[in-house]
Amino acid sequence: MSQDFASFILDEASRRGASYTDVRIVSIENEVLNIRNGSPEQVELQGLRGFGVRVIVNGSWGFAASVDLNRDEAVNVVKRAVDIARASSRLKKRDVILAWEDARRAEYSTPYKKDPFEVPIEEKLEVLMDAERSLAACSPLIKTSNSYYRGYRERKLFMSSEGSEISQTITWCGGGIMAVAVRGGEVQVRSYPSSFRGDYSTSGYEYFESLHLADHAEEVGMELVKLMDAERCPSGEMDLLLTGDQLALQIHESCGHPTELDRVMGTEADMAGTSFLTPDKLGRFMYGSKNVNLVADATVPGGLGTFGYDDEGVKAKRVHLVREGLFVGYQTSRETAAALDLKESSGGMRADSPLSLPIIRMTNINLLPGDWKAEEIIEDTRDGILMMTNRSWSIDDKRINFQFGTEVGWRIKDGSREALVKNPTYMGVTPRFWGSCDAVSGDDWRMWGTPSCGKGIPGQVMYVGHGCGTARFRRTRVGLI
Amino acid sequence: MVLDRLLDLAERAVKTALRMGAHQSQASSFILDAALTRYANSQIHQNVAFRSGGISIRVVLQDKRMGDIEAFTLEEEGAEKAVEDAIRIARASRPNPDFKGLPEPMPWGPLEGAFDEETSLCTPHDRVQMVREAIETAHARSPLVRAVAGNLSTNSAYFAVVNSLGVSARASLTTAGMKTTVISELEGSEGFSTAESYSRRVGDIDPAQLADEAAERSVKGVKPVRAQLGDYEVVLSPLAVRALFTYISSMGFSASSYQDGSSFVRYFTGQRVFDEKLNVKDDAFDPRTLYMLPIDGEGVPKSRMKLIASGEALLDGICYDSLRAGRENKKSTGHSPPPIGRRLLDRPVPYNVVVDPGDSNLDEMIEETKYGLFITDLWYIRPVEPTRVVLTGLTRDGTFLIEDGELSKPVLNLRFTDSMLSALSEIPLLGEEVKTFETNAVPAMKLKKIRFVGVSAY
Repeated sequence: MSQDFASFILDEASRRGASYTDVRIVSIENEVLNIRNGSPEQVELQGLRGFGVRVIVNGSWGFAASVDLNRDEAVNVVKRAVDIARASSRLKKRDVILAWEDARRAEYSTPYKKDPFEVPIEEKLEVLMDAERSLAACSPLIKTSNSYYRGYRERKLFMSSEGSEISQTITWCGGGIMAVAVRGGEVQVRSYPSSFRGDYSTSGYEYFESLHLADHAEEVGMELVKLMDAERCPSGEMDLLLTGDQLALQIHESCGHPTELDRVMGTEADMAGTSFLTPDKLGRFMYGSKNVNLVADATVPGGLGTFGYDDEGVKAKRVHLVREGLFVGYQTSRETAAALDLKESSGGMRADSPLSLPIIRMTNINLLPGDWKAEEIIEDTRDGILMMTNRSWSIDDKRINFQFGTEVGWRIKDGSREALVKNPTYMGVTPRFWGSCDAVSGDDWRMWGTPSCGKGIPGQVMYVGHGCGTARFRRTRVGLI
Repeated sequence: MVLDRLLDLAERAVKTALRMGAHQSQASSFILDAALTRYANSQIHQNVAFRSGGISIRVVLQDKRMGDIEAFTLEEEGAEKAVEDAIRIARASRPNPDFKGLPEPMPWGPLEGAFDEETSLCTPHDRVQMVREAIETAHARSPLVRAVAGNLSTNSAYFAVVNSLGVSARASLTTAGMKTTVISELEGSEGFSTAESYSRRVGDIDPAQLADEAAERSVKGVKPVRAQLGDYEVVLSPLAVRALFTYISSMGFSASSYQDGSSFVRYFTGQRVFDEKLNVKDDAFDPRTLYMLPIDGEGVPKSRMKLIASGEALLDGICYDSLRAGRENKKSTGHSPPPIGRRLLDRPVPYNVVVDPGDSNLDEMIEETKYGLFITDLWYIRPVEPTRVVLTGLTRDGTFLIEDGELSKPVLNLRFTDSMLSALSEIPLLGEEVKTFETNAVPAMKLKKIRFVGVSAY
């Protein structure tokens, strides 16, 4: 039915004057489980099915969408999209041009061993209850303990007037634990494997099982209790070491977003902002030190930003953003690639639902592994701080000045962890910070997945990945509060 | 017509749930007709419209096992399947002792002025006309204006809530919002500024006025200099005040943060922590707030709440839905998010916040400042230490040094990291005009001191 329905839409749009049309028919299943203080706080299933139609008429874009999948509504949606495009064309400066893309007929699914939607909810809740119970039992200082699970599946049919017909299914799942300790007016937080509801991967239920949440609960809870009595993070300039769970967000905010070409070209100026990585810097600007190699890679197995084809039908690929410190590439769409005379799109266009317009989104933005081992970096550090697990983040609208806070820090003295420190924060300026990166590990390199990257108007929330290990940044400003 | 359809769908879902064995059940159904025209580089680059709709179902079994389903379907068959799924997951769940019962029916009535026919009928061509006016006005202001960006949205939202205890409520609302950001350029140096306007009536929005305001400031903003870091007296435009109070109210006055210990209200109640001129309420009946809805997502009538009175943060200002209220044996204050917003908001927060005005204005605030900063907007505010309301964030879209009562020069964006308990402890002046934004309505404000720790430059 879906192919027929999509073909009907393509024909209808062509009949109404569209020079290009693509249609996405998408269904999403989202299972969210959360145990809080011994009770199920959230046992929720979300289901969404709908279609979105993007057209070019008179050289301008129009987009309309609906959750009603019937032919009458399809005609209404096409009419609306065409009408919108015609209206837009009254204010255009130039026609939309798309970079060339071969028409494809393809099928793709992210692989998994155990289907997350076939595992009974009772079984998942049992795992979560067990982990949360262990966490809560660590100390009476722990006032809130949570365990989380989320399973997600998106089935998409993409068809275009250029002849593409692509079916794909993306499945991901994961979870985590988080505890909050309170004493007086002080609140500390500790999470595993990462903050903000855990870590996620395009895998099956086997990934959630591999997290072994209950086995880590005691370690997380006990470190949280120790944190209450730890010294505050010292203030000053010193060497900063970031583990992967924090470095992932550092990459996300200071490399992922500023290399999105829509931001660079000004189309996010009213919301997310622009970027300091302007086109005159492409191939000329030293973004970081020689140790810094960053790629956008939608092909990494298990990455949360892994897929077969983007929402313009572009095959998933790996592109360099930074090579040995030099800024060499952008994340693009077909339209922005053409505008910059690039040969092809980087394949970064995705929408978070059938009702949303695809925009440039991160895939997996990875810091390629270096030659160091994580422990060697610590042993090589005379005076520094190791920070792990994000707690707060903020960066300006050109992605230059940032400030991050983490759940926990370790004072490093003469090559070993000297003491736990609380409320760690650091601040930097993107190219200077990455320019000070003198050590990148390889042995603890892994993919981290965050399902909550916000961008666009109306706001869209996308799942993206980041591959990294541990890295060191010389002479960084720490301890801002 | 639309509301009748939604109410009927919700009623049927509740009946179906009871028939399938639910002890209690609640259904809320919604339709959102949304349209957005977005522009950049002085032309439209994104123009969209969509209809979203669906039903949220909560079923509760005799032993307090609960299941929630959110299904984006408006068909009876789909709703029935959603009820089946809700029963299935409730059976798989565990009893929730926080559940004390779904809300009982209480009297409520529709609010005058919540829905505007003209806004609901706004066409793409109407929006293009407004965008054209903004772009042309900004460019006419100065040859330095290089690009105009922004967005214009019109939305019509409808929802109905029914539960098995007799709640039967419905509401509709239109909203319109326009933001214009102007980028000026002189000898390779950029100046940014922005202006925003929100109303339930698209006819209230004046694109030319917004463009004029943003263009004037962006032209003044070219060739910014680097300001010294440290403490500054600041004059905040309503946009910047909006940004601060969005965080303060959602961090401090949500039952979620209160119950997990991260709300500052828990530790400072009964003390005057802010300037005594500061009075803040959450009031869905105040026409200055955008989301004028008589009921919340559970059909509970909205309450008028005082959050901050004469500088004191009030425990009675904590906002609850029924589940979180049950945890403390309290009643819901009517702050369960409506079904339309649940994808983005999953906890009770105040979203009709009004900060009481004073008797000043921006010109006077600047005139009365010997040395300080004027801040158009604040951006990327995040809590660093929530219990002391330590926030970090950056200035954006027009920051100027004030010297001897005048805007002397534009400065590069600055990062602040400071406790709002300190920053809002001295508010020498409050604006007399309250401006409406999405979740709050606020005046301009002058603060005696806020600490800047970084600059956006390399």
